[in-house]
Amino acid sequence: MSLENGDHKVTQPILASLTRPQPATARLVPVKTFLGEMPLALLVLAMLLGLVTLFSGDSFTLNTLATALLFAGLSSAWNIIGGFGGQFSLAHSVFFAVGAYTTANLYLRAGVSPWLGLIPAAALAALVACVLSWPVFRLRGPFFAIATMAFTEVALALGNYMEWATGGTRGMSIPFRPGLANMIFRDRFSYALLMLGFAALCLMVVIAIKRSRLGYYLQAVRDNEQAARAAGIDVLRVKLKGMAISAALTGIGGGLFLMQVRVADPSALLSLFDFGVKFALIALIGGLGTIYGPLLGALLVIPLESWLRAELGGLMPGANLIALSVCLILASLFMKQGIVGASGRLAILAGRRWRR
Amino acid sequence: MTNPVPALLSVENVTAGYGDATVLFDAAFEVHTGEIVAIVGANGAGKTTLLSTIVGLVAARAGRIMFRGRDITKRPAHLLPSDGLALVPEGGRLFPFMTVEENLTLGAYSPASRQGLVARRDEMMQMFPILHERRQQPAGTLSGGERQMCAIARALMCRPTLLMLDEPSVGLSPLMVERVFEIIEGLARREGLTIVMVEQNVTEALEVADRGYILDHGHIVRGGDAAMLRRDRDIQETYMGL
Amino acid sequence: MADLINVIAVGILLGGIYALVSVGLNLIFGVIRIVNFAQGEFVMLGMYGTYAGYTYLHLDPYLTLIVVLPCLFVVGAVVQRLILAPLRTEPAMQIFATFGLLMLLENVVLAATGGAAYSVTSRVAQISVDLAGVQVGLVRLIALAAATLVTVALGVFLRYSMLGRAIRAVAQDRSAARLMGVNVDRIYMLTFGIGTMLAGFAGCLLAPIYSLSPQIGTSFILPAFAVVVLGGLGSVPGAYVGGFIVGLTEAFAGYYLDPALKHAVLFGVFIAVLIIRPSGLFGQIGAEEVGLRES
Repeated sequence: MSLENGDHKVTQPILASLTRPQPATARLVPVKTFLGEMPLALLVLAMLLGLVTLFSGDSFTLNTLATALLFAGLSSAWNIIGGFGGQFSLAHSVFFAVGAYTTANLYLRAGVSPWLGLIPAAALAALVACVLSWPVFRLRGPFFAIATMAFTEVALALGNYMEWATGGTRGMSIPFRPGLANMIFRDRFSYALLMLGFAALCLMVVIAIKRSRLGYYLQAVRDNEQAARAAGIDVLRVKLKGMAISAALTGIGGGLFLMQVRVADPSALLSLFDFGVKFALIALIGGLGTIYGPLLGALLVIPLESWLRAELGGLMPGANLIALSVCLILASLFMKQGIVGASGRLAILAGRRWRR
Repeated sequence: MTNPVPALLSVENVTAGYGDATVLFDAAFEVHTGEIVAIVGANGAGKTTLLSTIVGLVAARAGRIMFRGRDITKRPAHLLPSDGLALVPEGGRLFPFMTVEENLTLGAYSPASRQGLVARRDEMMQMFPILHERRQQPAGTLSGGERQMCAIARALMCRPTLLMLDEPSVGLSPLMVERVFEIIEGLARREGLTIVMVEQNVTEALEVADRGYILDHGHIVRGGDAAMLRRDRDIQETYMGL
Repeated sequence: MADLINVIAVGILLGGIYALVSVGLNLIFGVIRIVNFAQGEFVMLGMYGTYAGYTYLHLDPYLTLIVVLPCLFVVGAVVQRLILAPLRTEPAMQIFATFGLLMLLENVVLAATGGAAYSVTSRVAQISVDLAGVQVGLVRLIALAAATLVTVALGVFLRYSMLGRAIRAVAQDRSAARLMGVNVDRIYMLTFGIGTMLAGFAGCLLAPIYSLSPQIGTSFILPAFAVVVLGGLGSVPGAYVGGFIVGLTEAFAGYYLDPALKHAVLFGVFIAVLIIRPSGLFGQIGAEEVGLRES
């Protein structure tokens, strides 16, 4: 126990609840099962569907929505290991790229429909993630982040080098041959629906994890790794599982993204600013370790960014990134729990007050 | 028994803790110039918290701490050596990768202590010859007893009026324990230092002290003349295994 | 044989540059235990500051040090006080914040300069020196000399001055340092300021060597991390040696393997070291743990 006030981490609530009945706050917010969460989840998805349909004529908005939904999914995926697990990964662009190139290459070279190609994409991304992170999971917080950042850098060098897979620095392009089997559509509405499907998939997976033992263990590891280990949790295995699932979903997102934009080079896909950090930023603003946080975060951040790029992009190159970075700094200072986290707390406090 | 001279240190109804947990409840005691006061209790009683709160490393949630007639409740920890209050933390907490000599030098960091630093350091090396022998050794390589002595010497570098010690005897061999208590007594009797120590080793502590207090689960439950406490049946049974 | 000497020369000179860039990062890392992702950006700011002095004040780049150094010290101290100090107990948020700072600084400079590439020349820029048959640019030699000078100066400061001792004390045991009368919050601010100032110093010396772009910060940060980890957290001589290890590795990888892969090799080595011996080659074993756990 340290001598200093404020540095002491009071005994982890998650770990305690593994062995004891839950503390008083639980009576106000009952623990839901997967099925118990479904009504809210389905409602949220229905609202999103409604939103997409609402703008079905507007190409520009649909585009933004599609991107927002894609990032909602990607950020939710990141949140599994970054938010629930507390492992700040900057390597997710690598899994994103692996998924993208796997899907694209299988389609272009072997004629495999992207729908099917997403499966090996997910698998390969998960495999790469496990191989990369297995040796570095023993590193603490910032060291882990640096190592993952280094992975991204190495991936970029390799990506540029492996021209047969990525097209090298010239990039790769997928010819425009619309068709459902090719996952190439003429209209924006279909893409928005596709991304909504992806977001829904990620949401379901996140809910399943949060309400499962894995979710419990991940949070225990995040709160206090040593105590978790002492309680008998196989820390490395838990982290690897979380990372694998997170990477698999990210890989799927990558595949979807590349099929949508059809043109990409390694430096675009592996860009930390455009992808790697954005997943984390959205999760932070929405609420690290919450279910709906990344969704909300994406719906806020992506349109905002798009608007900024449109308004200021000409005047000030990089204006959207300046805004994002300011958000990032402010969020880290003041919004540690994100919007969803903060409103959750407020709801509990309000509920408590009302009951008196 | 009222003492007309105000206490050097007076802890008044102090409550303190960490995070959601409260460890000290309404603690109150006094220390007068020139005496040795021992605050004894079992593990987890709140002894370290008590000293940490006095010295400003932990914020008191309620109550007041007066030192030399001045309210130091909210005073930042790093200002206290200049005021004349020094703490030897539990285990000494020497800077492990710095030499013995560097550790002592740091003891005189506060502006009030910089004058005559070298002379004071030589004084300490004379008082504790083993430190002179080990002066260039990294403090992390010292044995338990040596570490404690170095920590005490380091705390003395700022010429404190009041010296506080957190479990000075913990982890030491019986021979070293005796030696340490000898030193503590010597500091009070010969150097005129006022001393407060918290200890688990109730027997030894009460033998050296003038007055004592019993800390139990964060509450100060007894206080009085050390000799009287030593003879007390209940205390003997609870703490001294008799 | 001549080729080998050339590669070694390139490696050593590169090493000098990396050592120069990393010395501030090492200090911050070693004392405050913050991974300052924005460190490369402060180097970049130093470079652009030099450019500003060169273009608007017509000062030789080496003279702009006089202005750039204090400015960057102040910027660093302010950043520490406003952004990092409140996050002292939130290591996860520190990563977000310093990364946000990286993005912010890079893109502000990008916006301000419109992405144009600048270059700075010093009167000495064209001079080449012949060493054992190898042509070496004087500006690079100066960078190497500066790296050595700074390392020595920092080492002396940390070892023999009272303030330097206080900084080391804070790195080893914050609470105990407080008990000695050290104002830990102020030391953090000071240390970070010195760290960013050193980055600015590197920037000034690198301005005549590299062409300026807002992205140059990110091209330094990972090698800088590699240097610090390889050489040893908090070890001043370690970071110096680490610079040369990294420089030589990069030079050899670039020459004997594909230049495009040299970064990959470098980071492979870096990650290997992170795994096998996180305290670095010269760091004290366990030093990386000191301060990371509060108990």
